[in-house]
Amino acid sequence: MSHEPFDTLAAAWAVGALDGEERAVFERHLADGCDVCEAELRSSAEALAAAARSVPPMIPPSQVKEALLRRITATGSARRETLPPRRLVWAVGSLVAVLAGAGFTATFVATRYEARLGQVAREAAALRASVQRDEAALREQIAVYQGAVDLLRDPATQIVLLRGLGPSPRANGRVIWHPVAGGHLFVANLPAPPPGKAYELWTIGDAAPQPAGVFQVDGSGRGTYRIGPVAGGQPVKVFAVTLEPEGGVPAPTGPMVMASVK
Amino acid sequence: MATSGADLLRRIAAGDREAFAVFYDWYAPVVFPLILRIVRERADASDVLQELFWEAWQSAGRYDPARGSPEAWMVMRARSRAIDRVRSTRRRSSTFVAPLDDAAAAVPGSERARDAAELAEDRGMVRSALERLPGPQREVIELAYYAGLTQTEIAERLKQPLGTVKTRIRLGLERLREVVQASP
Repeated sequence: MSHEPFDTLAAAWAVGALDGEERAVFERHLADGCDVCEAELRSSAEALAAAARSVPPMIPPSQVKEALLRRITATGSARRETLPPRRLVWAVGSLVAVLAGAGFTATFVATRYEARLGQVAREAAALRASVQRDEAALREQIAVYQGAVDLLRDPATQIVLLRGLGPSPRANGRVIWHPVAGGHLFVANLPAPPPGKAYELWTIGDAAPQPAGVFQVDGSGRGTYRIGPVAGGQPVKVFAVTLEPEGGVPAPTGPMVMASVK
Repeated sequence: MATSGADLLRRIAAGDREAFAVFYDWYAPVVFPLILRIVRERADASDVLQELFWEAWQSAGRYDPARGSPEAWMVMRARSRAIDRVRSTRRRSSTFVAPLDDAAAAVPGSERARDAAELAEDRGMVRSALERLPGPQREVIELAYYAGLTQTEIAERLKQPLGTVKTRIRLGLERLREVVQASP
């Protein structure tokens, strides 16, 4: 059934190009109710939406979503009966957006946001957990460095050099030592201990060596260890490191691999 | 859990903010490039995007699934808000170099645009649906849809009879429907 001139008018209207008298005519025709034109406009709108979806998606600046959620929170509770805020879900939501951004720019994800979203949410949760772990590790490391810096400011603090012995001649280290507060051990070039073994630090004063803790080194042979104060505040004359079973032992049994320079 | 955009809009209409956050994550990346293409400034595009979704939050209850997909609903509004923004910016400043004119001058079927499209295809990249239309059809649709020109303005600009412009628009839209149906 020919529906001219309305087919042509509907097309121009769909892309916003209809003007003048023709626009008035077409809109009157629509207002009178025309199933053919309505279906036509619907189909054009879907095609234009599909065209919009056919270009690579872009994640908008995150402030837009933040501002919207703030706006909704500010006015929504007065206007509607709302659910309690679920910050975690929102936080995951923003992470999803960030991740999706990376994914979208790498590949053209034209359709199926639904299926992707579940996967992206799982990835987001995993990323979140890993970021939390990294954060905890970083905080710990910063606390160590902060403690070392604080100790360095104290006039009573000494720096003791350690030298590699026997099996690890290239190893070297430093202890930042405070007679009351304890200190920090930093070692370098110490080979990774064999499986089941670890390095143990000893403080030696006038009596038998006291265990001062077990530490590991990383792949590049570096290790950092926070040394607690010596019980009773006994002065330390020598720091020594031996290779011991992983769990540590109360008295040295293995070879001495480092000791403080006299 | 096959949630659809229509489900989300129903929940948004009931005041569900989580549904809104998901709805935003789904549709903002689709409409943002469209808005940006029309208004051309990222800051303006962000404003338009925010108003668009604010409006969606407030008027979700008026969405009728029988009249089209949520995506079509959002894309249509996005285009029209973006065009409104450009027109109001142009009104505010007489010395303003109108993005609409820039877009009209730069976009349609130009050699450079065609080259870019072909280059993208050579590289195995997806060509956008409009890029797959014949040049003259693509040109009129882009002038109308992105640059906001009416059919009369397009005819003047291209120095073509109005009837030709109308026919190209209709054929272009028909072709676009085939293109998007062939590769959803």
